[in-house]
Parts: sequence; structure tokens; C-alpha cells
Amino acid sequence: MAVKPIVQIRDLTKVIGKKTIIDQLSFDVYPGEVFGFLGPNGAGKTTTIRMMVGLMRMTEGEVLIDGSSIKTDYENAIVKVGAIVENPEMYKFLTGYQNLVHYARMVNGVSKERIQEVIQLVGLKGRIHEKVKGYSLGMRQRLGLAQALLHRPKLLILDEPTNGLDPAGIREIRQYLRTLAREENVAIVVSSHLLSEIELMCDRIGIIQSGKMVDVQRVNEFVKNDQAVMVSFEVDPLEHAVHAVKANFPDCDIEQSDRKVTLKIEHELIPEVTAVLVEKGIRVYGIQSSVKTLEDVFLEVTGGEQVV
Amino acid sequence: MSSIFHLVQNENMKIYRRIGTWVMMGLVVAAVLVAAIFTNMNASDETTNWRTDAESAIQQSEETLKNSEGMPKTFKDSQERSIAVNEYRLDNDIPPLESDSIWSFMDSSTGVVSLISIFTIIIGAGVIASEYSWGTIKLLLIRPASRTKILASKFIATLLFALFSLVILYISSFIIGGLFLGFNAVAQPYLTYSGGEVSETSMAVHYIVEYALASVNLLMMVTFAFMLSSIFRSSSLAIGLAIFLMFTGSQLTFILSQYDWVKYILFANTDLSVYFDGSPLIESMTLGFSLITLLVYFIVFLFLSWLLFTKRDVAA
Ligand SMILES: Nc1ncnc2c1ncn2[C@@H]1O[C@H](COP(=O)(O)OP(=O)(O)O)[C@@H](O)[C@H]1O
Ligand SMILES: [Mg+2]
Repeated sequence: MAVKPIVQIRDLTKVIGKKTIIDQLSFDVYPGEVFGFLGPNGAGKTTTIRMMVGLMRMTEGEVLIDGSSIKTDYENAIVKVGAIVENPEMYKFLTGYQNLVHYARMVNGVSKERIQEVIQLVGLKGRIHEKVKGYSLGMRQRLGLAQALLHRPKLLILDEPTNGLDPAGIREIRQYLRTLAREENVAIVVSSHLLSEIELMCDRIGIIQSGKMVDVQRVNEFVKNDQAVMVSFEVDPLEHAVHAVKANFPDCDIEQSDRKVTLKIEHELIPEVTAVLVEKGIRVYGIQSSVKTLEDVFLEVTGGEQVV
Repeated sequence: MSSIFHLVQNENMKIYRRIGTWVMMGLVVAAVLVAAIFTNMNASDETTNWRTDAESAIQQSEETLKNSEGMPKTFKDSQERSIAVNEYRLDNDIPPLESDSIWSFMDSSTGVVSLISIFTIIIGAGVIASEYSWGTIKLLLIRPASRTKILASKFIATLLFALFSLVILYISSFIIGGLFLGFNAVAQPYLTYSGGEVSETSMAVHYIVEYALASVNLLMMVTFAFMLSSIFRSSSLAIGLAIFLMFTGSQLTFILSQYDWVKYILFANTDLSVYFDGSPLIESMTLGFSLITLLVYFIVFLFLSWLLFTKRDVAA
């Protein structure tokens, strides 16, 4: 790819005590892209993000933000980053506006107009002069987003931003992040332990499991590349059909239910299976191909472990 | 990239936007008010003749000096000082401060400095530890400002709080003292004695110095609490330990004062007023020794605060 990545992570490793929590993680994130960082609880998403923003030291490896090293050139690197790490914790005794002023003062060149612009953007205009104490979780998420965007970062990192939000809130965040990536060319890293909540907002997803990056793929490739598809044939008689399939396709898994035989086969093989069945004089009443969801792939990649 | 000025501004906002801070300020003024009411109630109306008092004091001191073979030098010095000051009073017609004058009241209100110490310890321990307990540390540290700068801004803001409280104490003592006890003694000079000479200085300046001396202990204990807060990331632990040591530290050193090494303990050095009027805990101690000891403690406290604040992971 000709486009220069905004984030370059190389062999990122974190050892605490004797435990390797993050193990040689490497990936890139490009401008204008929404990158999903997916993994079950305890996989190491937050730890990775903490190292990316310098809250934790890396044991080994390197994180470059727009070419600047988080390790050796922290201020130049971090000024390009906006982030929420875990919950958006704000100063509760200050108003939303005072919270934003606080963070605006920490970077050069954030004007009053910019603060207003961001408030407008996240839709907090009506309540911004109230104390954060009285904010709902959704409002605090918005305020968190506002502080992360104040200084027009090139990279936005959100750790489980959908946590505790209702479906409407999730949809809103999704639309908002897509717009931001598309129109402002911001690179966005979103972590989550729930695939269903981020699959629609991400261009690429990296799956992390026990501190290792198991797989990084474009979202639409997840399905395409994975050859196996679950296909159900409604047939009669069932026993003959099972027998015929076993004889001709010895490698594939077969399940049978009352009137259906379900196979895990490549998409390309569906016509062939059908031909065999017809040839043997078996009546085929219907063929259903259930395309595997990302969830299935995710479960498969992470070894079918409990995700939620 | 962020300027220290803006960082201090932020810390100030976080201190003064909380009601607790203003309750503390209110308590300082309230303490002064209560003290003034008591002083006013106990004020005696009988006027003694200060001249005869001064004369008899001189006589007494001269008697004592005659029989002072083998007495410590500091004792003799204090007698000579008393004679010189009283003679100066008689010659220049400067009466001593009455116990219910505004300046005597200012003197007793230096006791409120320990209340300010407690409050500043609470603030100083809170500026670090609260960020951790609130979880805001994660947003505070991911800015183009080094941790060193952020820590410095917190320390400066804590000292500014102490300074602000001391100014409030000074001004409110003066105003409340004056309102309750009258302003008529305001113009009286303060007499200092050094090298056999008595000289006049302004009372107002003298009490600023008094407050500054009373604040040495404050500065050290606050820096100590600041360090504990950085080490433990818990304000209750830092506050508890610092206040406990503040109240027991001087007793502890007093109990141990038979040992010479006690002079290296922080609390043996925090009361610098002994070098101006009084005698130090251990004879070999000098003002210079105490200042250097204090400086070493101060640097060690700040260094450890810095080390633990800047080098450790923010996890949890
Ligand atoms: N400070 C720490 N000390 C020891 N282990 C830790 C520490 N922080 C996190 N871990 C461990 O590291 C793993 C990854 O945690 P985390 O990054 O929070 O996962 P995630 O955000 O993906 O849920 C977990 O097993 C957790 O127990
Ligand atoms: Mg997490």
C-alpha cells in the first residue's frame, strides 16, 4: 500500500512479573481506516492500548505514531493521538465545559471556537455547562469523545466505546466514527470483546487472543477467504443421501436432522453435491446455504472460547 | 509542549472548584474569629505601669547574671538581651505589647498555621492520589506534557494553596484582631537584638517572618505527604501518615533527645525559631545545620515523588 500508516506497532511485548501479557504484537493502522481490535475479556486489548499511549512501558517492541516513537519522542507522538482508555472518567465536580477547557489548555492551539465546534459535534450543547456528576453514561461517552477530538488528532483510540451503551447509542457512535474516518481521514482504533458491536463500523479487524494477534483481516474477507460454508439439503430419503455424500465427499462434516442433511463444504462444491444427489435418484426439495457470520469465524479463530 | 503555566492553572481549577477547599478557608477564618472572641473576653482592664515593670526586670536580670557562673552561654545571652531591650524601651518610651493588643493576637494566631498544614497536606496528597482514584490520570497523562511537568504543576499548585491560606490567615488575623482589640498598637515597632545592639523594625514585617518560620514545618510535612501520595497513590494513607507524624514527630525527637543522632531526624530541625529566641534541642545544632538537613530531606522527598510518578506504569 502506498499510503503511509499512522500507527506502526512492531513486536510489542509486555511482561509483568513472569507473565507475558502481550506477546510480539505487530500491526499497522492507516489514515481513514477504522480498525477493530477484537478479543475476549483479558486478551490484552487494554494493556496494548495503554502501551500505545504511554501509560505503560513496553517491555519490548516499538510503537510509532505518524513516524514518532512513543518511547523516545513521546510529546510529538502523543499530540497526534486522542484516546479514551476504558471508561471515560472525567472530573465530576467540574462542568462538561470546564473539563474540555482543562484538556484544551494542555495542547497548543485549541481555540474557544474549536471547543464549541467539538461540543456541537458530539451533541452536548444543551448540557455542557452542567456538572459532569449529573451526566448519564452516554453523555460521559460523548464528553470523552469530545476531549479526545479537541486537538484534531490523526489517530483516535477508543477502548470498548460501546460498553454500557444501548443499541441506539452504539449505532450513533458507529455512524459518527465512520463519518470521522471518511471525512477527516482520521485513523480509528476501536477495541471490543463483542464482534457484533463493531463488525459494522470496522474496515479491518485484528483478533487478539491471550496477548497474541491471531488474525488481521479486512471485514469482507473474513467470509470470502474462509472456504467452508454450512449447506443444508432437504432430501428424501435421508439415509441414502447421507450415504451418497459420505461416499463422494469423505472429508466433510455431516450432520443430519429430521429431513435435512447439513454439510460443511466449500461454496464451490454446492453444485457438485447437488449433482451427486440427483444422480442417485434422491429427491432434493431445497438447498440452504448459511453463510458463516463473522461471529462464527471469531469463535473459530479464538478456539470457540466463551466470548461474552 | 504544554506550558507549565497552563498546567498550574488546571491544577488550581481542580482545587478551587471544589467546595471542600472553601470550607477549609472558612475554617481558617473561623479559627481566627474564635481566638479573637476568647482573647477579647479574657482581656484585663487593669493598666500596670510598664516602666516600673521594665526597671524591675532589668534589676532581676542583672542579679541573675552576677550569679550565673557555670550557666550555659545561651542563658546568659538571653538575660543580656532582656536587659538591652528593656533599657531601649525606657530610653525611647516604647511600651511592650499588651496581651490584648492586635500584635499579640497576631502572635497567637501563628498557631493556626498548623491547621493550614493539615489542610495543605490534604490538598497535596489529593492532587496526585485523586487522579488515580477518579481514573482521570489516564486522560491527564496522555497529553503532550511530560509527567515531570505535570508533577511540578501539582506541587506548585499545592504550595500556592498554602501561600493563599497563609495570606488569608495573616489578613484575617489583622482585621479581626483589630476589630476586636483595637488598632491603636498598630504603629508600634518590633525590637530586635543582635550583636549587642537593639534596633527597630516594622511589626508587620516581623510577623511575616514569624509566619514564614512557622511554615517550615508545613512545607516539609506537605512535601512528605506529596511523596507518600505518589508512592501509594492513596490520599487517605498519605494524609493519615503525614498528620500522625506531624503531631508525634516533635515529641518523638524530644524523647530521644539524649542521643546525638537525633539531630538528623527531620522533626528535630523543623522548628527554626529556636535559633532566634530559644535554644536548640541538641547543643551542637546550628541554623546552618538545620537548613542543610531540611534541604536534604526536601530534595529526597521530591526526588522520590518524581521517580515514582514518572517511572511507574499506570495500570488499573
Ligand atoms: N497490572 C497488571 N498486572 C498483572 N497482570 C495484569 C495487569 N494488567 C492486566 N493484567 C492481565 O493482563 C491480561 C490482559 O488484560 P487487559 O489488557 O485488561 O485485557 P482486555 O482489555 O483485553 O480485557 C489479563 O489477563 C489481566 O489479568
Ligand atoms: Mg479492557
